[in-house]
Amino acid sequence: MARKSRGRQKVEMVKMSKESNLQVTFSKRRSGLFKKASELSTLCGAEIAIIVFSPGNRVFSFGHPGVETVIDRYFTRNPPQNSGTMQLIEAHRNATVRELNMQLTQVVNQFEIEKKRGEELSQMRKAQSQCWWEAPVEELTLPQIEQLKVSLEGLKMNVTKQAQKLLIENPGPPQFFASSSSGGIFPYDRKVGGFNPNMVLPQYDYNNPGYRRGFF
Amino acid sequence: MTRKKVKLAFIVNDSARKATFKKRRKGLMKKVSELSTLCGIDACAIIYSPYDSQPEVWPSPLGVQRVLSKFKTMPEMEQSKKMVNQESFLRQRITKASEQLRKQRKENREKEVTQAMFQCLTGKINLANLNMIDLNDLGWMIDRNLKDVEKRVETLNKRSRSSTGGTSHTSQLAAVAATGAGPSNGGQQAPESSQKADVLATTNLGVNVDSMLRQQWFMDMVTPQETAILGFGGDDNMMLPFGDTNHNALFSNPFFPLN
Repeated sequence: MARKSRGRQKVEMVKMSKESNLQVTFSKRRSGLFKKASELSTLCGAEIAIIVFSPGNRVFSFGHPGVETVIDRYFTRNPPQNSGTMQLIEAHRNATVRELNMQLTQVVNQFEIEKKRGEELSQMRKAQSQCWWEAPVEELTLPQIEQLKVSLEGLKMNVTKQAQKLLIENPGPPQFFASSSSGGIFPYDRKVGGFNPNMVLPQYDYNNPGYRRGFF
Repeated sequence: MTRKKVKLAFIVNDSARKATFKKRRKGLMKKVSELSTLCGIDACAIIYSPYDSQPEVWPSPLGVQRVLSKFKTMPEMEQSKKMVNQESFLRQRITKASEQLRKQRKENREKEVTQAMFQCLTGKINLANLNMIDLNDLGWMIDRNLKDVEKRVETLNKRSRSSTGGTSHTSQLAAVAATGAGPSNGGQQAPESSQKADVLATTNLGVNVDSMLRQQWFMDMVTPQETAILGFGGDDNMMLPFGDTNHNALFSNPFFPLN
């Protein structure tokens, strides 16, 4: 993200002047609004309906238990039906919502962890980057580049050799995935651990032993 | 504003729930109002509390009536197209969050593999410790970097070729490796048109034997002799030691600047 958002800044409560900004603002705020409504119904069991029209006259609506249900309740001024069936349906629906909320929380938490990890990795990189060969290729002189090229090619050969060596010693797929659970001991510094066990393991392609795209 | 993270589940404590409800309902109304004002759009909100049969509404009963009518007059399809309830809304959020997570993991993995690659170059990492997946990813990253390097070499060579009329640096390197010693390129290196030329010339003129020797070691690396040097086979240590004068290290002193 190149441009910083205006979060934590006071925004004047008048209609926005720039059309492009207006559309973006609408999208973001509508999304945030529905999120707040969802949380309110989860946390407090409130019945809610929200209807918004977009600048382009499309209509977005959020409702719990449902938009129509709440609107009907509002129009008829009747207290909600409480028959046995309704309660059963509602109980089932609430159970589903509960699970979904848990799932969402899990994913969001994992994301926070990965984000932190990403920042740590960037920090590490910054601290280590006094080496000239880590600079972007564009900044290197020709002799440097040539040297880097030779080194990389050498390393590639070693890697391929080692991979083939592993293949010979450990025929059969189960081995690879078993070993990965112990974590690839990637960098010398153990702090930046090996494998995230939650990661979906990519398929190992036997036809391209040295060359798999893997996770990318 | 609470500093504690709120768990996304029904609040069992009655008083806490009531307090939260009042605060959040107020906040929600405010948000609807802001959205309507900032974007100049029609909106309404109806909130039933568990404590009241009468709902709280925004903007007003009349305003709600108006917006609801406008809503009802829209074609059925349009009404339901962007309609969500808790279930569908949460599923959408889960999908988006999962995608974010996937991207972040991919980004992290790339960073990790890149760092590992550079650490391999300085001999900090013993390839024998890596599993198949790490090795494959490492190979992939090396290839990607090699592509960039080769592109850059081409660009630089084109530049030097057009300005010097044919003296390629690669051949100089090979010459050096063959002779194995002695800084002698200064004279052969014609100045490049770019600013880098000065650096280049200075480098070659001022380069010392240490650096030349190192370059020869690189050449040794890619020749068949490498097996002997690196000691493959058996329980050999593929570790390229860091910090000593061992020939095996690609960069025995990573902080030795080439220029």
